[in-house]
Amino acid sequence: MTIKRGVSLYSYQQSQFFKQLDLEGQIAEVGRNLDGADGIEIVDEMSLDYPDPGPAFEARWFELMNTYGTRPVAMDVGMDVLQFRDHVMSLQECADRLIADIRLAKRLGFSIVRTLSVAPIQVIEMALPIAESLDIKLGKEIHQPMVLEGPLVQEILDLAERTGSQHVGIVPDFGIFQFRASEVQLAWFGRRGAQTSAQEASVDLALGLRDGTAPFPHVDMTRHTAGNIRGDFNRFLSTGVTTEDMRDAFEGVKQWTQQRVDSPKDIDYVLVAEALTLSHTSADTLRELAPFVTHVHGKFNNMSAVPGMPGQFQELSIDYPLAIDALKAGGFDGYIDTEYEGQRYFQDQGVEELEDEVEQVRRHQEMLKRLIEAS
Amino acid sequence: MFDNFLIRGDSLRNDVDEGEVTGFSLAVRNANYRGVYLSLHNGYFLEVDGVLYPVAVQRFEINGKAPRTFDEIRGAVWEHWNYDDEGILHVAAPGGLASGPHTVRLQQSVLAAYGYLSTDEEWVENPPTPGTGAGSDKTPQIISYPLVLTETKDAR
Repeated sequence: MTIKRGVSLYSYQQSQFFKQLDLEGQIAEVGRNLDGADGIEIVDEMSLDYPDPGPAFEARWFELMNTYGTRPVAMDVGMDVLQFRDHVMSLQECADRLIADIRLAKRLGFSIVRTLSVAPIQVIEMALPIAESLDIKLGKEIHQPMVLEGPLVQEILDLAERTGSQHVGIVPDFGIFQFRASEVQLAWFGRRGAQTSAQEASVDLALGLRDGTAPFPHVDMTRHTAGNIRGDFNRFLSTGVTTEDMRDAFEGVKQWTQQRVDSPKDIDYVLVAEALTLSHTSADTLRELAPFVTHVHGKFNNMSAVPGMPGQFQELSIDYPLAIDALKAGGFDGYIDTEYEGQRYFQDQGVEELEDEVEQVRRHQEMLKRLIEAS
Repeated sequence: MFDNFLIRGDSLRNDVDEGEVTGFSLAVRNANYRGVYLSLHNGYFLEVDGVLYPVAVQRFEINGKAPRTFDEIRGAVWEHWNYDDEGILHVAAPGGLASGPHTVRLQQSVLAAYGYLSTDEEWVENPPTPGTGAGSDKTPQIISYPLVLTETKDAR
């Protein structure tokens, strides 16, 4: 038994946007060019004529799987609570949508449905009997800046124990093992005016928070999303107003920036504050939780060449060796699905500057295969 | 996301109805990595050469149907705007735009998010005005597009 490799077609969102790769082109790329990867994960509202692609599509879907030697692994579903516009969706309405998505996933041969990291546990519980009856696992995503420790994972473990269900678990997104801003994020900030010294200050602060050498301690962001933290920090910058749990960190970022950057502007502070959005979770916890992992999102921002090692690639901002070792030690034998997200950090430029998703995914798969096979 | 590519570069043209130029239109894409239920689509901040065109004068054409106002769009609760599909934003502006270059500033507002947010109840009662960043989390700033209107009124 070993860890298997797949790709979330999310990775090809830009190629699809620009009509360079359609669904078949994406599946063909996975099946033919990734040296043994065979898993396919989709975002339903990206890849399908949603909510009902129809029987003709279903037949074609299985033909595509057959033609390219791939298999459906997971379908990622959403939860937009203002769909009806005249009221906020109730938990039951959210569960109804999830149940419809579970039935759709079943029709397309998937065995896992990934819910959003913010899906309320009650919604998952309401849909669980249907998932059980259809033999579909529900995996709740654990996404940066969430951590594996604490209540948001515990409530999933509790649900599994309370119901005795084998059909509920977690989907760790490897962004939780990011420990510094990626070089492509830094460059993106740089084009918006962030100084080189602020780029260095952001990385140094992130590393200091990880090692405990920063002038203030890491703040647990379990109850926040990265987007919320960014919004709150912007408000703090312009008004000085913030919540008490964030004040020390926000003040700390401000002082750190002023010490390291000449005449810092807002964009410099905002870049340094990125150091606050990292998860600081433990690989040991991942090892312990391996039996509850439905599959993994192999999130990455940029694959660069390993110096002196032709054909080998690395992710400078995410600790892949640590995370994959933990999965192996925990006995995980499911799929890691490549999830490329760095393309967005090029889209402020012209079309000729856009990053090549196909090449980035190939590089990521090279690293995955090498790390999985390492003894 | 897709900041510079949300409007198709060659799509700006005047709308003509029975020989009369009634306004202009441009082709837009969803500023996300996925499609959404159409009802979530809340209109645009749209400014051309410094003139603001509010949601009240905007209509949206998608899924092979005639252009609809955003009041109508919000009722399309079971219709989906798929990721691959381009929509046409029509703007009522008698006389339309002059041929030649224009500066179009645009921000799309789609009330799609990750789960429940503190703004949900407020947005049921009072949907946000596009341009404030609300409902635009993946493209939080207004983007400026240099576009050229090339066709004359008899082309459409």
